[in-house]
Amino acid sequence: MSATALPLRLALVGNPNCGKTALFNQLTGSRQKVANYAGVTVERKEGRLHSASGRSYAVLDLPGAYSLNAASLDEAITRDLCRGFLPGEPAPDVLVCVVDATNLRLHLRFALEVRELGKPMILAVNMADVARRRGITIDLAALQRELGVPVVETVAVRRNGARALVERIDRLVAKPHVPRTHLAETADHGAGTAQALHEETRRLLSAAVGMPTRTARIDDALDRWLLHPVFGLMALAVVMFLIFQAVYAWATPMMDAIDAATAWLGASVGAALPQGPLNSLLVDGIIAGLGGVIVFLPQILILFAFILALEESGYLPRAAFLLDRMMASAGLSGRSFIPLLSSFACAIPGIMATRSIQDPRDRLATILVAPLMTCSARLPVYALLIGAFIPQRQVWGVFNQQGLVLFGLYFAGVVSALMVSWVMKKWRRDKSEHPLLLELPSYRIPHPRDLLIGLWERAWIFLRRVGGIILALTILLWFLLSFPGAPADATMPAIDYSFAGRIGHAMTAIFAPIGFNWQICIALIPGLAAREVAVSSLATVYALSAADDDAAAQALTPLISDGWSLATALSLLVWFIYAPMCISTLATIKRETNSWKKMSFATIYLFGLAYVASFVTYQVAVLLGAG
Amino acid sequence: MDASLLLQYAIIALAVLLSVWVVAKKQFPGSVRRLRVGLALYLLREQRPSWMRKWGRALAPASNADGGSDCGGCNGCGPSPPKR
Repeated sequence: MSATALPLRLALVGNPNCGKTALFNQLTGSRQKVANYAGVTVERKEGRLHSASGRSYAVLDLPGAYSLNAASLDEAITRDLCRGFLPGEPAPDVLVCVVDATNLRLHLRFALEVRELGKPMILAVNMADVARRRGITIDLAALQRELGVPVVETVAVRRNGARALVERIDRLVAKPHVPRTHLAETADHGAGTAQALHEETRRLLSAAVGMPTRTARIDDALDRWLLHPVFGLMALAVVMFLIFQAVYAWATPMMDAIDAATAWLGASVGAALPQGPLNSLLVDGIIAGLGGVIVFLPQILILFAFILALEESGYLPRAAFLLDRMMASAGLSGRSFIPLLSSFACAIPGIMATRSIQDPRDRLATILVAPLMTCSARLPVYALLIGAFIPQRQVWGVFNQQGLVLFGLYFAGVVSALMVSWVMKKWRRDKSEHPLLLELPSYRIPHPRDLLIGLWERAWIFLRRVGGIILALTILLWFLLSFPGAPADATMPAIDYSFAGRIGHAMTAIFAPIGFNWQICIALIPGLAAREVAVSSLATVYALSAADDDAAAQALTPLISDGWSLATALSLLVWFIYAPMCISTLATIKRETNSWKKMSFATIYLFGLAYVASFVTYQVAVLLGAG
Repeated sequence: MDASLLLQYAIIALAVLLSVWVVAKKQFPGSVRRLRVGLALYLLREQRPSWMRKWGRALAPASNADGGSDCGGCNGCGPSPPKR
């Protein structure tokens, strides 16, 4: 091997949750998502590393695998890429096998399998700092000698924590060394190889690793409470509850500031430009529309700060363990938890994460219920309607009523997903059991850098959507709401004669039974591209419908609280729990299932569920006098 | 119609066309790609003048082999789904 024009390819391999992605970020300066649970990476990711020696490397971050005898799609990707069997992917020149220093009993087993591939390899003993704190001693020289491959220590979450690894890669590249394969000589069939792996792992541990206790005392003490069948579930409920309380309690000042800034900007631009269509586009269309969406950024960031902190802390796999019985009785496998959890951010990565589920029927069930998890794009819609219709008062002197309703909406999504999967299980007469095999990582205090990266990523994704697809749709909607103008003998407001006005009025024939007015009907169409657009669309519709400038400058919340009945608001909230108002999610279902039929089924059942649930909600609310 | 109003309508028309392009590219990438390929092939026919061919080359979408860094359901990237 030599430094040539084409960069050498390094592949980061290892068990799930050993810190590959954190190491990848450290080596390449990328900002890929990291978390303290298995299965975060389901596709290979590529970045560039320029070492101090001047060499350039293409670094591949592969999905975590427990074994090269692949049991799932993501493990198969890792296996095939390491062997050079993946079409269009050259085999890596160097394998960097990452192992968790606190869990060598499990991770060294995979390292031995990787060594058997007979490729140049380095063992990166990651999280060495945590291992030291727990009193685990690792004799790197002995491990290197016994294993027959270079071994280096890394701390992927610390600056320069991978410097030794880069230096070692440079040396290995300058003087390649192919490890001798051992196991093939001692065993020649599957069971024999597995036994040989266990024995070799035990030998390595006794030669190079000193473990004072198998698990940290603090983990055990916390798990006694947090995994308790009663107290654990109570703790989980309290944690989730506090998160939604905080979303409302902490975000208000920032939201008020953004609201005021939007109003000031609208007034300034309106005053600076002469009256005319361009003024209307900027003030009623772009500023009112985008301002109505950006105002929810603080709530999204607070929610994600909590979710990221829980991910990093190692608590989420415990939550999966606690909910396993409930999920199993509903027909979902324990492996469904992580994809469903990812769907709280966005259903698209959640659906992609189902690749780690081996059973195709379990995988399909998870894909079909993933859109019911409350993604972040729903939050602006929920926040708008809750802000308009639910009074901000204390319940029992402690809880914020708006936070309670938001918690209820998230809870409704989860319960609906469980009910749908239960029906699917009954439908397919599935009586099989799905045991949950889940690695419970050690607890750790979330690293501020990873939290900040995660929050920045969320903010950036949101702002990119605002500046891209939401802006484009807002402009198009403004155009459709403004043209053609009213005729000379018009008797109705001008907006009623526009393209969108006519479409909205026509749609009420279908949506009137569930309480939607023509303004809501219009907002649903661009909302199919991105759910938040429904909010910006409503802001634009009401700004253009306003009788005068003062009315147009009003924030959206008081406008809809005056104009809609509580029954309509509740019906719309229920609609957004179920309706698949996201074309990208449906496209992902098509891609992941490779079936138009399954995608069509998902679309029809979700829209059907949304319509029926909204209809029932609206009619019951009207009967109770909320119409 | 005065010049100021004409200019305003021109800006609005441009913004609307750009928005249509952004939405189509994001939501219907396959259709946009097919449209670009069709237009490029039409402009690149042998009998076309050189300026038209130049446009055709500019309009032709990049090869699929380049791969892509985006993920999500709308870009059609990522590994092929398993065949069932």
